[in-house]
Amino acid sequence: MFAHLSASLVDGLLIGFVYGIAAMGLSLIWGVMRVINLAHGATMALGMFCIYGLFTKLGINPYLGVPLAALLALLFGFLIYGVALHRVMQSGYLYTLLATFAVNMIIIGVGTTLFTTSPRNVDFSLGSLQMGSEILLGTRLVAAVASVVITVALYLFLYFTRTGKAIRAVSNNRAAAELMGISSTQVLALSFGLGTMLAAVAGGLTATFFPFTILSGGAYQLKSFVICVLGGLGNPLGALFGGLILGALEGIVPVFMPVSWVPVVEFGLFVLVLVVRPTGLMGAK
Amino acid sequence: MALLEVQNIASGYEGVQILWGVNLKLEPGRLTTLVGSNGVGKTTLLKTVLGLLKPLEGRVTFKDKPITHLPPYARARAGLAMVPEGRQLFTDMTILENLHLGAFSPRSRAGLKQNLEKVYEIFPRLKERANQKAGTLSGGEQQMVAVARGLMAEPEILMLDELSLGLSPLLTLNLFESLTRLKKTGLTMLLVEQNVTMALAVSDYAYVLAEGRVHLEGPARELSKNEEVRRTYLGI
Repeated sequence: MFAHLSASLVDGLLIGFVYGIAAMGLSLIWGVMRVINLAHGATMALGMFCIYGLFTKLGINPYLGVPLAALLALLFGFLIYGVALHRVMQSGYLYTLLATFAVNMIIIGVGTTLFTTSPRNVDFSLGSLQMGSEILLGTRLVAAVASVVITVALYLFLYFTRTGKAIRAVSNNRAAAELMGISSTQVLALSFGLGTMLAAVAGGLTATFFPFTILSGGAYQLKSFVICVLGGLGNPLGALFGGLILGALEGIVPVFMPVSWVPVVEFGLFVLVLVVRPTGLMGAK
Repeated sequence: MALLEVQNIASGYEGVQILWGVNLKLEPGRLTTLVGSNGVGKTTLLKTVLGLLKPLEGRVTFKDKPITHLPPYARARAGLAMVPEGRQLFTDMTILENLHLGAFSPRSRAGLKQNLEKVYEIFPRLKERANQKAGTLSGGEQQMVAVARGLMAEPEILMLDELSLGLSPLLTLNLFESLTRLKKTGLTMLLVEQNVTMALAVSDYAYVLAEGRVHLEGPARELSKNEEVRRTYLGI
């Protein structure tokens, strides 16, 4: 029983790191732009397909494919911002929400046409590591380490670079940032690009974990919302923390009750945190 | 030649026109003040000059070039800095980060270190609290950060909106003294104030705005002796 629990917990935590990365993208986009990005899950699925394509067609190692997918996603994010978001940025939450929902539908529609909805699989292994009684899958370890590196990099970028400070300034007070000579349009586009990039990276890192379709992002998107609420929006470390909590829950819950109860527990927690501490467990205000 | 010229500006918010053809000139090295009662359009004029509002008519020229079509950030990069009403600090960020952001424009980047020293000299308290979050400061300290942040831009023109709002008389006096010191460095400034007595006392030139138009203008010393100004704004 205990061995089973700890194995399940470790497994959940390792996936939790990647959940954190996905949530970080959502959190960044909300924090800076005040946009609820409903295309986040679809972008994650695109990240998975990108890795799949690079691996099956070109034989590129899935983890070496991630930086390439990241770059493509950054550009894709700029494109979405320019085409779908820029003109409605001043129009309120509903318009930006609908705009990203439209993007979501387009990605899913085109994706379904191109890839059908039969599950794909990136059949790739990095071996495993035996630690005592635990067996750690190499792919999950690499994904977890990559997630930590990305979180630290994002933190350093936001707090110690000029561009990062400009992003935080726009997030804090858009009009005042303009008066400082910061182009808020550039910062908003960059933030959306980075958020999209994080989604695609999270998708890419999980591509080797489970079979997926273009619709697989939906579940991750929901999880990302839960994580953002747990960790507090607009805080990269909070997102990683929230991801770990959710991953741990997913590891622990199935040991005690049927797997189908996992979402019930997750969203029960979501509602509980919203009621008790709406700023998130790590939220400042 | 005027450094900045506002020509026949009509401006306002959605459905409400506030300014009806305002003309104003800022001469280099001069402290100009814009006074008037609440709601006559002082802040509207500043916002229009800085690009936060689009004028319905008229134009703004800076160094003889029209800037009316430029977005706010481009005007800031050209050398217009503002200390906005209500401070508008980056409250989640430290004082030092706020000051660094003040020097974001390429034109002010080279002088960042020297300007930081200068600003700390004017407001020593900010140096002591450099790593404190701006949102945790008192109103007076926040106003110091706002002024300091404006100076960090090494601007050609510094505009100050309602500097004295919500501050104690002593703090107001301190801030006005620092304005006098800044004037000696040759900085061109536009001061928007409800505290007409103090504004006229430190300024070189003044405009009186009423009902969205320039009602009176002239050297500040003369305006402070003007019978109507004394009656309406100085309560004498």
